[in-house]
Amino acid sequence: MRRFWGRDGNGTSDEALLAGIAIGDDRAGVVFVRRYQQRLFGLALAILGDAGGAEDVAQEAFIRIFRHAVMYDPRRGPVPSWALTITRNLAIDALRARRATPTDPSDRVFLELMSTERRPEDVALSTDALVPIRAALADLPLDQRRAVVLAAVYGRTGAEIAEAEGIPLGTAKGRLRLGMARLRQATVMEATS
Amino acid sequence: MSGYVEGPRQCEAVQDELAELALGAVSGRRRAELLEHTGSCPRCLAELERLSIVADTLLQLAPRAEPPLGFEMRLAQRLQASAGTHRADRSRRLAALCAAAVVTLVFGFGLGALVVHRSGDSQVGSATANLTAAKLSSHGQVLGEVMISAGKPAWMFMTVDAGAWSGKVTCEVTLADGKVDVTGVFDLAGGYGAWGALLTAPAGQVRSARLVTAEGTVLASAQLPV
Repeated sequence: MRRFWGRDGNGTSDEALLAGIAIGDDRAGVVFVRRYQQRLFGLALAILGDAGGAEDVAQEAFIRIFRHAVMYDPRRGPVPSWALTITRNLAIDALRARRATPTDPSDRVFLELMSTERRPEDVALSTDALVPIRAALADLPLDQRRAVVLAAVYGRTGAEIAEAEGIPLGTAKGRLRLGMARLRQATVMEATS
Repeated sequence: MSGYVEGPRQCEAVQDELAELALGAVSGRRRAELLEHTGSCPRCLAELERLSIVADTLLQLAPRAEPPLGFEMRLAQRLQASAGTHRADRSRRLAALCAAAVVTLVFGFGLGALVVHRSGDSQVGSATANLTAAKLSSHGQVLGEVMISAGKPAWMFMTVDAGAWSGKVTCEVTLADGKVDVTGVFDLAGGYGAWGALLTAPAGQVRSARLVTAEGTVLASAQLPV
């Protein structure tokens, strides 16, 4: 089975860029930053809600990615997942360090994530691999979609979701479990079709 | 161990929480207990891996946003400051990656270029203009890809993602004058591997690359465009 290798119109895979960064190729670093800065900054902004904090997090994420490029193991997941997970964890740490209120579920970015609509620029930039999961997320019942997005993107635990939504802990956990099961099923079906 | 169920019911109890674990919504002792189980249960581990892929992919749905003006300039400054702190650690890791190469470490990832260039596809394209790629194949079957950068330093990156061979392989490149250079010895696992290495010869001199087993069998080769 051929595995997915991230690349863009330049034909340079993400993995090749990381190898170049690890070796000290400055051009590989430039291309990588250009390729990922909107994604990392966008995710950090979605979680933190302010541009200054998001820039700080996105830059720290790049520093960690560059520092650990030599350790990257493609078998543990594609580069976009690796880079975005680093960014997410840094953003959530920053949020907790400043004891800020997690992003309000009425926030514009949260609503965008929850929406079944896609912005034209995201349509142009998204890879085909994201289409099935985006569709599956849109098909989830609203309460399950909220729970999954709050946990996956905003790092909220079952207990935090229960408190925020005013529901019993078991209900919050159930929404997460059912929502993820449906997403997994949808992506498995896509992979085998 | 609270919540930890021994015996046949263990998987059933754990599977109810795998989605939360994959989402990073379980912490502390319970997380350790769940990971302990998945570490010894292939079935639950496989399910956790599938759910983790879903969780990771969800992050890619976050909307992109243009960073504030000057983002690259400030990042370059931070990278420069970070370079001094981590140069020693980095040297050790790089030496592990390029075991066969004599490494002159260049740390400072595009600092000059990041400062000089503005965002734009044309600049991104020029930054990769010196990359050459070729398919790595065996008996007509494509097994992977070789990419060679003519930058300073010159380097190569190879991916193998098909086939079934496992074990140590030597990567050799043949130069224009017929000389063969060994760029490194690497591991393949089930036909899969990816690595990068510095080139000791100029990138433009490389005509082909091949993977050779310890017994001398050529697993795959690639012809670089001249």
